[in-house]
Amino acid sequence: MEQLLINLGQNMFVLFGLLAAGGAGVLIFSKSAVHSVIGFLFSMICVAGCFLSLQAEFLGVAQLLVYAGGIVVLFLFVVMLVELTKYQEKGIFQTQTKFAIPLVGLGLLVFGGLFRSALFGASAPEALTLQPGLVGAAESLGNAQAVSRGLFANFLLPFEILSVILLVALVGAIVLAKSERV
Amino acid sequence: MVSMNAVLLISFLLWSVGVAGVLIRRNALVILMCVELMLNAANLNFIAFARQSGTVHGQAIALLVMGFAAAEVAVGLALVVALYRRKGNIQVDEINLLKG
Repeated sequence: MEQLLINLGQNMFVLFGLLAAGGAGVLIFSKSAVHSVIGFLFSMICVAGCFLSLQAEFLGVAQLLVYAGGIVVLFLFVVMLVELTKYQEKGIFQTQTKFAIPLVGLGLLVFGGLFRSALFGASAPEALTLQPGLVGAAESLGNAQAVSRGLFANFLLPFEILSVILLVALVGAIVLAKSERV
Repeated sequence: MVSMNAVLLISFLLWSVGVAGVLIRRNALVILMCVELMLNAANLNFIAFARQSGTVHGQAIALLVMGFAAAEVAVGLALVVALYRRKGNIQVDEINLLKG
C-alpha cells in the first residue's frame, strides 16, 4: 500500500495513458462517426489526466479547454453537418488495408526491438528517470506562472506568429466553407 | 514519480494508433482526429522532456503546438465541408479529382 502511494503518480499516468489509447482505439474502430468523436473526447480527457500526473497543471487545463471544449464541439458540428449515415454500410476501412497489415506488422517488430533496446537496456534507468521537480527560477513559482514566464520571455516571437497563423486560419476557414452560390 | 519509459511507451502507443487511423480509415473526419492524436502524443513527449531537462520550455512549445492544432482543425474542417458541398461525400478513397 505504501509502495502504491509512492508510485501513485506513475500509476495514474499509466492508467490515464492506457485509457487514452483505449479511447483512440474506439476512435479508429467504431462505425459511427459520432462514436468516433466520443472516443476522441475520452482520449483527450485522459491525455489531460496524463498532463496533470506529469505535474503540468496549466497544460492539463488548457488541454481540457481547447480539445474537450472547442475542437470536439467543432468535430460534432461537422459530423452533424455532413450526412454520414448513408456510408455506414459500405465499410469503414480503405481498400488497400490488406496490403498495409503486413507492413504494419513489420514496422511493429522494428519499433518494438528499438524500444526494447533503448528503454529497457542496461544503462536506461539512470538516464531516463525524471527529475522530481522543476529546478531554477521556476521552482518557487506555480506551474502557470513558470509556463507564462517561459512563453513570454523565450518564446515571444513564436507566440506572436501563432496568433497571426490563427487569424489567417480563421479567415481561410470562413472563405473555404462559404458557399459559392450565395 | 513518473518514469520516462512509461511516458515514451504511452506516447508511442497514442502516436501509432493515430498513424494507423490515418492510414486505414476512409472518413476524412476520422483522419483529422487521428492527426490530433499524433500531435497529442508529441505534446506528451514535450512535457516529459521538459521535466527531464528541468525547464519549462517544453511546456511552452506544447502550448504552441496546441494552438497550431486548433488552427489546423479549423482549416481541415472547412476543407471537409467544402468537399462535401462539391462531391457529396467525404470518403477519401473516392476523391480522385487529380487522377487525370
